[in-house]
Amino acid sequence: MSSERSDDSDGLGDLFDADTDRETVPQTQRLKRQFDLYVAAPFRVAMTDWRAIVGTAIILMFVLMGTVGVWLVDKPTSGDAPVLEPPFQNPSYVLGTDTFGQPIGAQLIHATPDMFRMVFAGAVVSVGVAALVGVLSGFRRGSTLDTILMMITDIIITIPGLPLVIVLVAIFQPGNPYVIGVLLGLDNWPGLARTVRSQVLSIREESYVEASRIMGISTGTILRRDVIAQLMPYITVNSALASRRIIFESVGLYFLGILPFTTFNWGVMMNIAYEGNALNRPSMYHFLAFPLLTIFLMSFGLVLFSQGMDSVFNVRLRARHSATIDEGDSDS
Amino acid sequence: MSNTDTIVEVSNLDVTFQMDRGQSHVVRDVNLDVARNETLGIIGESGSGKSMLASSFLNAVIDPGVSTGKVMYHPEDGAPVSVLELSDSELDRFRWEEVAMVFQGAMSSFNPVTKIRTQFRETLQDHGRDIPAGMDRAHELLESVYLDPDRILDSYAHELSGGMKQRALIALSLLLEPDLLVLDEPTAALDLLMQRSIVTLLDELQTEYDLTLVFITHDLPLLTTLADRIAVMYAFNLTEIGTTDELLYNASHPYTRALLDATPDLNVPVDEMSIIKGSKPDPVDRISGCSYSPRCPIADDRCRSEEPPMMTVRDAHESACFYYDDAPDAVPISAAPDERPSSGRTTATEGRDN
Amino acid sequence: MRTDYLAKRVAQAALTFFVTVTLTFVLYRMMPGGPTEALRNVILQQQMGTGNTIDPARVERLVAQYTNLQSDAPMYKQYIQYMSSVFLEQDLGESLYEDASVTSLLAERIPWSMLISVYAMVIGYTVSIVLGAVMAFKEKSRFDSISSIVVIGLNSTPYYVAGILLIFFFSIRNEIFPTGGRVGLGVEEGFNILFMQSIAYHAALPVLSMSILGLGTALTMRGNAVRVLGEDYLRVAKLRGLRNSRIATQYVGRNAILPMYTQFMIGIAGVLSSSVIVEQIFSYPGVGLLVYDAIQVRNYPVLMGSLIVFTLVTIVAILIADLTYGFIDPRISSGGTDE
Repeated sequence: MSSERSDDSDGLGDLFDADTDRETVPQTQRLKRQFDLYVAAPFRVAMTDWRAIVGTAIILMFVLMGTVGVWLVDKPTSGDAPVLEPPFQNPSYVLGTDTFGQPIGAQLIHATPDMFRMVFAGAVVSVGVAALVGVLSGFRRGSTLDTILMMITDIIITIPGLPLVIVLVAIFQPGNPYVIGVLLGLDNWPGLARTVRSQVLSIREESYVEASRIMGISTGTILRRDVIAQLMPYITVNSALASRRIIFESVGLYFLGILPFTTFNWGVMMNIAYEGNALNRPSMYHFLAFPLLTIFLMSFGLVLFSQGMDSVFNVRLRARHSATIDEGDSDS
Repeated sequence: MSNTDTIVEVSNLDVTFQMDRGQSHVVRDVNLDVARNETLGIIGESGSGKSMLASSFLNAVIDPGVSTGKVMYHPEDGAPVSVLELSDSELDRFRWEEVAMVFQGAMSSFNPVTKIRTQFRETLQDHGRDIPAGMDRAHELLESVYLDPDRILDSYAHELSGGMKQRALIALSLLLEPDLLVLDEPTAALDLLMQRSIVTLLDELQTEYDLTLVFITHDLPLLTTLADRIAVMYAFNLTEIGTTDELLYNASHPYTRALLDATPDLNVPVDEMSIIKGSKPDPVDRISGCSYSPRCPIADDRCRSEEPPMMTVRDAHESACFYYDDAPDAVPISAAPDERPSSGRTTATEGRDN
Repeated sequence: MRTDYLAKRVAQAALTFFVTVTLTFVLYRMMPGGPTEALRNVILQQQMGTGNTIDPARVERLVAQYTNLQSDAPMYKQYIQYMSSVFLEQDLGESLYEDASVTSLLAERIPWSMLISVYAMVIGYTVSIVLGAVMAFKEKSRFDSISSIVVIGLNSTPYYVAGILLIFFFSIRNEIFPTGGRVGLGVEEGFNILFMQSIAYHAALPVLSMSILGLGTALTMRGNAVRVLGEDYLRVAKLRGLRNSRIATQYVGRNAILPMYTQFMIGIAGVLSSSVIVEQIFSYPGVGLLVYDAIQVRNYPVLMGSLIVFTLVTIVAILIADLTYGFIDPRISSGGTDE
């Protein structure tokens, strides 16, 4: 018996040696491995999912529109061109012109940067707050902090977003796209925070995180190294959905005329066309139709992207530990 | 076998799945007879095709699997039924009334959102049975599996423990008085104590209700306490079949012998325990010759080129090995025969559990 | 433990409501220049025609009358005064334009908005559930993939875009449905067929355009049903030879729909909020249109009141969902919905 035991401890020694070897992997190589795991691998998988491909392509197209497009196409001004030119007639304003003689295509393009500013601010705020609240509260489960954070989350999740935003907008009349984005992102974070929290809880249960804790690795390190990385899928998917929602709401509010018309916006165009009775005037159809189509296309891209990424990440997760993560927090 | 009273005759059974990388053959040309009122154990490692074989008894292989060949069911009286040729509605009646099945997922075999009573009742209703009489039988069955009928029937599945659910499921499986009960790893998720009591229970039920049992497991010691005959399955086909004693004391296939040797036994020091070397065969890429030959210590060129048929060792003991005579000497079992899991029902596992 | 759970839920709902009302108070105070300054111009304009003298004290009085805010009193007194009028007197202030209390204005409009919201959700969810279930049964078929694209497409269409398209095709190009209003002119009010018909006729397009909000659920339903189809109890049910209709409803249906119940109740509140935009498009005089009109003229008491009422509806919907879920899903009755 005793001889066996010594054999055993030798074996254990080997194991530890192997582990120390792994610890000393150079930083660059570890970065490379991380990159491969979290960026390159999902990307390769994503390229096998048509939804992810089409979604990414559409989003890229809008990014080009908002950067290169703005630089290529002049900012439209009133009287640039004849009033209400029909589309596909004149190559200098392919999509026709509006009631003030501004080319519609150029307006759509010049509305894009502000749209991105809004979406960016809104997504950063909602995803950032959600991740912060969710991770903190998940890691401190059962503590006072958790209770308070979840109480706040539950309260904000209940206050209906659109009416709150309307009241805020009516009082403060924000013109800055970043401010509008932040206001719209305000009611977006609680749902995601809950998802993140339950994800953190289930990740925490996993043996390797447990092991890291027992090995004395600090909470901060565990957070950075394991949890945040694992949460990326949820954050990516939810950013896309949050963006779509911010676009829906901001365009809707511009369309209603509730947000001040300080910039070009698809919603502003819709408002002017709609108020100009475009539905009853065939000569104005294109003025309304193109903004509608643009909004549809952008959110179609975002939804496809999120759906594609969702299945991509799920495939990866499922492959890694099948059936350990039960869904049930698929909140939209 | 044909002169005894046979309840199920399986001949040339194949189960296949169509997959991206080709056809997956998970049961290959199996021939097997089950005698009325016997307990037949089918043993094999996971992925050997034993569950698929069991499901074929009811033509219930999960989609998109397909069973081909012949499964003849002989009712007590009446004409034999060719199970694989039944229409959907005939199958609905055949299942549970003639052959019932309890399988691995007992933990989640009940609808979580309705009471157990509803699930007994709907089974009676959809089979056109008299409900009051059927519910009386349900009470009787639940009592015979040592459960409090009223308490169980008024519960939801999540309110019952694993062992209770498993016993309730066994009661449910006997509700329509089937003659044959197929049990696919029915004790897999239970603790050791509960496993034993379920096995004892099955033994009692068999006598009480004149049942034929087909018991599928990878747990050899468990099987030896219950089975009259054991069929060993390896790589999608049967490799050996015989009475429990015959198989334990005179195993004539190298795989069966390796299996006996690998059976965990508390009396044997850990370092003397052996594992079967090599890896499991692939259901898509078929190898030539005997499917066990890559892992077999006594395989020769003949084994690698020619597939051994089932050969009679003695009486009803058959082995699919060319060298069934040499196997006992060539593949020794480290534990002495009387330390091995033995049959003999009553004294079965005492030696090892203490 | 059931009563514990109940008490906890009710307390949470009450707290949420309390916080919301406090929030409206804070918003009043945060108005540039405070409520008095913000409302003065509106009040001046409005009082101009009546020939009344306008001194600062009178403006203060009017502000207090409209908003329940005594802006010359110390802050804590203002707060207590404001909260007590909302909670003890159900007084949400007065509209600056109509000579009516905010409570009565909202009370008159709310049923109409609830009508279209509830129907929109019911229709959206019914279609989603059926579609999602069929997609799951035919997983990976052509029908499944085409439906997925259609659902994603509809999901990418803002409800107001759907509204504009519906009004264009069904009210303007083809005059099948009216372009606005909630009942026809001269239809006698009351419990009669003509009145009901007219209501349904006017509500049809708003309901349809809002029902698009519930359609995303089809994909959730599909996912749930696919999961249930792979469950052991489903296999056992099939083995037991149960009727297909029973398996579809009692097994797949119930187990797949259950997780969506809470979402549905919260969804009703969400749809109600979207009425602000939809009702404007269809000139449907519900709460949404009331809010829209209030924004145009900075009718703050109505805005604040509607925010309170919208929140109240959400709170009640969630509370009902929480309290009834135990009856629908036996697994929850022991309490604790936390993951």
